[in-house]
Amino acid sequence: MQRFRRIVAALALAATATTTMAACGGGDSGDDSGAKTLKLWHYESANSAMGVAWDRSIEIFKAEHPGVEVRFERKAFEQIQQNAGMIINSSEGPDVMEYNKGNATAGLLSSQSLLTDLSAEADKRGWAGKLSPSLQTTARYSDKGVMGSGNWFGVPNYGEYVTVYYNKDLFQQHGIKVPTTMAEMTSAMDTFVGKGVTPLGMAGAEYPAGQLFYQLALAKADRQFVDNYQLYKNPVDFKADPLKSGAETFADWVKKGYVAKDSASLKAEDMGTAFIGGKTPMIVSGSWWYGRFKAEMKANWDTFLFPGNTLQAGSSGNLWVVPATSKAKGLAYDFIDITLRPEIQDLIGNNGGVPVAADPAKISDPKDRKLIEDFNTVSKQDGLAFYPDWPVPGYYDVLVSGFQGLINGSKSPDQVLDSIAKPYADGVKEITGK
Amino acid sequence: MAVSETVAAAHPATTPTQPAPGRKRRGRNASYWLYLLPGAVLFILVIGAPLVGTGYLSLTKWSGVGDPTWVGLDNYQQLLHDEVFWASFRNTVAMLIAMVVVPTLLGLVLASVLFDIIGRRFRPRTAAALRAAFYLPQVLPVVVAGIVWGWILRPDGAFNSLLDAVGLGALRHDWLGDPDTALPAVMAVMIWVQIGYPVVVFMAALQRVDPELYEAAEVDGANWVHRFRAITLPQIRPETFVVALTCTIAALKVFGPIFALTRGGPENATNVPSYFAYYTFFKKLQVGYGSAISTVLTLIIVVVAVLFIWMQYRSERRDRGI
Repeated sequence: MQRFRRIVAALALAATATTTMAACGGGDSGDDSGAKTLKLWHYESANSAMGVAWDRSIEIFKAEHPGVEVRFERKAFEQIQQNAGMIINSSEGPDVMEYNKGNATAGLLSSQSLLTDLSAEADKRGWAGKLSPSLQTTARYSDKGVMGSGNWFGVPNYGEYVTVYYNKDLFQQHGIKVPTTMAEMTSAMDTFVGKGVTPLGMAGAEYPAGQLFYQLALAKADRQFVDNYQLYKNPVDFKADPLKSGAETFADWVKKGYVAKDSASLKAEDMGTAFIGGKTPMIVSGSWWYGRFKAEMKANWDTFLFPGNTLQAGSSGNLWVVPATSKAKGLAYDFIDITLRPEIQDLIGNNGGVPVAADPAKISDPKDRKLIEDFNTVSKQDGLAFYPDWPVPGYYDVLVSGFQGLINGSKSPDQVLDSIAKPYADGVKEITGK
Repeated sequence: MAVSETVAAAHPATTPTQPAPGRKRRGRNASYWLYLLPGAVLFILVIGAPLVGTGYLSLTKWSGVGDPTWVGLDNYQQLLHDEVFWASFRNTVAMLIAMVVVPTLLGLVLASVLFDIIGRRFRPRTAAALRAAFYLPQVLPVVVAGIVWGWILRPDGAFNSLLDAVGLGALRHDWLGDPDTALPAVMAVMIWVQIGYPVVVFMAALQRVDPELYEAAEVDGANWVHRFRAITLPQIRPETFVVALTCTIAALKVFGPIFALTRGGPENATNVPSYFAYYTFFKKLQVGYGSAISTVLTLIIVVVAVLFIWMQYRSERRDRGI
C-alpha cells in the first residue's frame, strides 16, 4: 500500500498544470525629479541597427545626465512578450522599456493602467510632429486598449514594412526586367516558371503566407478597409473583396507555380536562407530581413515595393513605453527624446534599419537610402496597413493554418476565408463586446 | 522473509527497558513524517498551489493582467463544443499509439532479442552498445530532435533526397505540410524518440530473471518465441506496467516535439491538448480557457494513472495469490 501511495505521489508530480500569478506591487511614483537611476530594458541585438542606435542613445543620455546611473538589461523578445504584465506590475520593473506594439500587448497593458500616459510629453517634446498618422496608430490606444485613437502610451522611433526582395543576378540571367506593375510582376513570374524556377519564396508554417495574402488583398483595399479590419470601425465581410480577391489570387499563384506547392511546412528562416543562397529569385517579406541580407548575401540583390499597391503591410517598429510604476519618469522621457534625435535616427538608417524621422540625404549607402525613401513614400501617403494577424490575439496561428491549406491544396479559397472569418469575429467580439 | 527471520533469531529479545514494539513503531512512524516535510512543502509550493490556482483560473475569464472575472463553468461548457479541443484529443489517441503501444511492444521484442540472442551469441558489450544506440534519442533534448527531424522531413530535406536516391522520387512529399501525412510523420518521429526507454527498462528487468528458467526451457526444447511468451513476458510484467504508465502520461501531455515540428498544424492535424492549452493561454491570452484545458488534461492524466496503478496492484496481488 505504501508503494501505492509513493506512486500516487509521483503521479501528482507528473500531472502538470500551468498558472500565471500576477505579482503584486506598484504604488505611486511620486516626484521623481531627483531620480539617480534609469532602469532601461530592450530586446535588440547589439549589432542590429536599433541595438547600435540605442547604445549611442545611452552614451548621450549619460553625458547629458552626469550622476545618473543607467542600468541597462538586454532581454529576449519572448521574455518581454510573455511576462510584461507581471514585470511592470512589480517594483522590479524598468523605468523605460521596449515593448511590442498592438492591441494584445501595449493596448492590453494600457487598458489596465499599467503604462504611463505619454500624451502631454508627446505634445511638449514634439514627438507627435515627427510621426506620420499611420505611425501614430500604434502609439495611441483607447481606454479599451484598441490602437489608433486615444492617448499616447508608447513612442515608436523606427519603422518596418513589407517589400519585394529580388535577386538581381537571377533576373539578369533569365533576362527579366524589374516589375513596376502587377502585370509585369506576373509576367516576370511566368518567365521564371517557364524556365523551371519557382519565382516566389514562401514559408507556409510562419508569417510569410499571411503577409503575401494581405499584400494581395491590399491591392484592392482602401484606408476604410484597413480601419474596419484593424480598428473595428465597421464589420468586415470576408467573402467580399479585398479579402476574397486576396485569397483567390493566392490560390491562383499556387496553381500557376509562382509559389511552391510543397512550401506549407517551411519556416520563414527556410525562405530567407533560400533567398540568401540564390535559390529563390524573389521573396515578399519585411524590412527586418534587410540587414541580414546585406551582411550575408553574396549575389546582387535589391528591393522594390509590391507593385501597384498604395497600401503596404507595415507599421511603426516596437515602442518605448514607461511603466506606471517607474520611479524615474522624467529621465525615461529624456531618453525617449534622445532616440528621436536626427543623430540617432541617421544611425539607424546607416546601419540598415528604417528610421521614422531621418533625413535620407544623410544616409550614405544608396541601397539603405532607397529602403528608407520607400518607407517614407508609404508612410507619407498614409499607406502603412499594419499586419494581417494584428486584429485579434492568436490570429497569427489562424492565418498560418488557413494558408497552409491553400498552399498544400487541401482547402479552397472559400474554405480558407471561412476558417479565418470566425476566429476574427470571435476575437473582435471579445475585445469590443460587439 | 526467510532472511529476516534468521536475522531476528540471531538478535533475540529486546531488553525490558526498551519500549513495547507497538509504541516503538508509532514513534518511528512519527519521525518519518519529519523526513517527508521538505518534500511535502515543496510539493505544495511547486505542484499543489499552481494546481489549485489553475483550477481557480479555469472558472474565470482573464487576459493575464488585471483582475480575473468569475464565470463559473462557462469555460468547460465552451470546451465541450470546441472542435479544436476534440481534434486535439483525437490526435492524442495517435500519440498513445506512437508513444505507448508501438514502443512498448517493439521494446519488449527488441529487449528480448538483445538480451536473449545478441547478449548470448555475441559479447554482452555488443548488446549494451545496441541498447545505448536505441536510447540515444532519449538523451537528446526533444526540441533539438524536433528541429533536426523538421530538417529531414522538409520538402528539400534528407528524406526526400533519400527517396530520390533510391529511385522513389515520385513519392517526394511535403511530409509535415500536408494534413494527411503530418500526423503519421510526427508519430514516426515519436516512435524513434520513445523506443529506447522501454528497451533499457526491459533489459534491466531481464537481468533479474533467473537464467536457470531460460536454460531449463531450452533443455525442454522451447524456442525463442516460447521462451518469450512463457518466461520473458510474465517475469517482467511489473516493468511493463511502469513503462506503459509513464509513456501514457508522456503521450497525454506531449508538447515539445509538437512545438518544434509543426506547432499543431497544418490545420490542427497535429494539435494536442498541451499545445492547444499553451496556444490559448499565451497566444490568445485566454488564460481562463487555457486553464480549463490544462485542468481537464490533468484530471485525465490522474484518472488514467490511478487506473493503471490499480490494475498493477491487482495483478501483483493475484500473483501472490492474495
